[in-house]
Amino acid sequence: MTTKRAEKIIVWGRNFFRHPILVIIFKLLGTGLSLYLTTILFQLFETYLAVQYVALLYLLPVILITLFFGLVFGLLAALLSFLTFDYFFIQPYHSLVVHKPQDLITLVIFLLVAIVVSQLLWQSKKSSQIAVAREHEATRMYKLISALAGLTDTTDIARVLVKQTLDTFHFSKVQVQINAWEDEPVTTYSLASAIRGKETPSMKKDLQTSRIIEGELVIWPGRNPLNNEEARLLQAFCDQGALAIERAHLINRENKTRVLEESDRIKTSLLNSVSHELRSPLAAIKASVSSLRIEAVPWDSDARVELLTTVEEETDKLNLLVGNLLDMSRIEAGALDPQKKWNSITEIINSVIRKNRANLAEHSVVLRLPEDLPLVPTDFVMMEQVFTNLLSNSTKYAPAGSEIEISAKELDDHIQVRVRNQSPFVPEEHLKHIFDKFHRITQADKVTGTGLGLSICKGIIEAHGGKIWAENLPDGFSFFFTLPGKLNGQLPTKLEES
Amino acid sequence: MDRDPLILLVDDEPQIQRALKTILVANHFRIITAVNGEQGLALAAAQSPDVIILDLTLPDIDGFEVCGQIREWSSVPIIILSVRDNERDKVTALDKGADDYLTKPFGIEELLARIRVALRHSHQALGNKETIITADPIVVDLARHLVTNNGEEVKLTATEFKLLAYLAAHSDRVLTHQTIMNYVWGFVESDHIEYLRVYINQLRKKIETNPDDPKILITDPGIGYRFKTSE
Repeated sequence: MTTKRAEKIIVWGRNFFRHPILVIIFKLLGTGLSLYLTTILFQLFETYLAVQYVALLYLLPVILITLFFGLVFGLLAALLSFLTFDYFFIQPYHSLVVHKPQDLITLVIFLLVAIVVSQLLWQSKKSSQIAVAREHEATRMYKLISALAGLTDTTDIARVLVKQTLDTFHFSKVQVQINAWEDEPVTTYSLASAIRGKETPSMKKDLQTSRIIEGELVIWPGRNPLNNEEARLLQAFCDQGALAIERAHLINRENKTRVLEESDRIKTSLLNSVSHELRSPLAAIKASVSSLRIEAVPWDSDARVELLTTVEEETDKLNLLVGNLLDMSRIEAGALDPQKKWNSITEIINSVIRKNRANLAEHSVVLRLPEDLPLVPTDFVMMEQVFTNLLSNSTKYAPAGSEIEISAKELDDHIQVRVRNQSPFVPEEHLKHIFDKFHRITQADKVTGTGLGLSICKGIIEAHGGKIWAENLPDGFSFFFTLPGKLNGQLPTKLEES
Repeated sequence: MDRDPLILLVDDEPQIQRALKTILVANHFRIITAVNGEQGLALAAAQSPDVIILDLTLPDIDGFEVCGQIREWSSVPIIILSVRDNERDKVTALDKGADDYLTKPFGIEELLARIRVALRHSHQALGNKETIITADPIVVDLARHLVTNNGEEVKLTATEFKLLAYLAAHSDRVLTHQTIMNYVWGFVESDHIEYLRVYINQLRKKIETNPDDPKILITDPGIGYRFKTSE
């Protein structure tokens, strides 16, 4: 509290001493005081100094006052020193009257020199001040431009623009509002500084490019009005801001176009991949059924069972494929909405193994699941799909007769699951992409599949807030995924038996 | 039963109608068909079928709506047959009063089993309630509050018995999580499914031969549980 009060007093004091009338009074006092001191000093050494030297030395305070207080006070100092010089050092002393014409000439020359010197000084100071201001302006612009460079998010642009404007100018508050564009809503960002100012904004500037108005900059100014240079700099800030927003919008539009093109390419690739996968089971079904309908052939019961089994299996395969396609389109559309409930990973895995017994017949599945594995908030059906796809991938690539191990453990606030199989080494460059859509490591004709399974796993795990990755092992290959152990920040509640 | 049970099929797809007609007739059922919801409702009222097989996607009225309307005046078993396989639709249908739910494509064995269960339950509703439910080697005696495994009593806590008895009384039918939790704990709108998971897990350890591969207390993913009897 006390520091806050002290700060308040300091700020109040600072503002008080900046008041223009007080500044003039201070400068007047300063001018008078310095001339007074100079005169006393000269009077002490008067006996050693010739009048001409005194005149020369009187230029010193005039120069200093011009440098520090400006031309007006410099000229005032010149006039005052002219008068004091006359009054104290020209005979008759203590009077403005001059007897000798030589003294008069000295006085006039002194006055002229003082005026010319202070004017010259002032001009050179002013031009150096302008140079400094230009440099300051350039530095500020450079800072703004480099801060805006590469920003593609309009909220970031608004933030940078507001921050830089506040840093550069003495405003009490700045707000940037970016107009709505395509599907982006209006963005507003504002920030206040320590400078006290008016309650109401006094200036609005459009952020305008050559094409459209992208938004506006609203300013709550401090006490000092903007000078010309500052006004120009502020305009440049607005222009740069508008350009940055326009660029961000154009980049976003370009990205959208690229996404569309990409999805078009994926669709083509999907059609190619899927039509092959759809045709094969259809061909098998059609062949089996049409064979059975040939009345001329007396099918024995084994052959009949064989053909009918084919029909049923291939139908299941088709159904699975259609399900995968639907899931993929849901993931693509961002419409995957897991119904997260407290589920036991062990139960999900057991259910998957039961349903896929036929597909897993050639491999031995080993479960290493701790008895006390906590319940995890998951969508049961989606997680079944994840395990089904991971197991299906394992059986496709791992040699027949090998072991597939599923293990899980609790790590901090999440569960990590590992599906390990003995499939061959996967080159590192493929590891990163195996969860991408349609990414196939092998030739499509060697192992069946659409390349959708793992990308669906990724979609589902990510929709659950988890991560999925793959690693090569010395003796095989592993999929890993994690699932958060909390639902809405809560662990499963325990119910006591009453 | 002196006559074959009558089944009303409400489905607008001719291929499904053709296939089911053939199959059900061959399995000694009588079948009448409706191609939309209105017709289905009319036939359900006029013909009093023993079981209704209902598609959710109908050209006129939504299948859920048909289900709800029938439930207003009849307790005839309704089996939903639909291509929609998301859990929310299944739960909605079951909550609207459907007795069971099968996703297309389905195995015909599965459908016939569900029809038999539906018929059994509708007979029970007429009076002669079964109080002894058998799922080898487990026997649940509802009247005597007794559960035996190969003739030996299984010790259950009060809540465990309440849960098991409720599932057994509705054997071979899926009960939604919400329905079960509502009955056992009185939770009306609750997400505390973890309680149910814990109790089912405990029950499985006590009554299943292999709790990791349950044969009696079957999980219906995302929907609920089913007590499977030895038919």
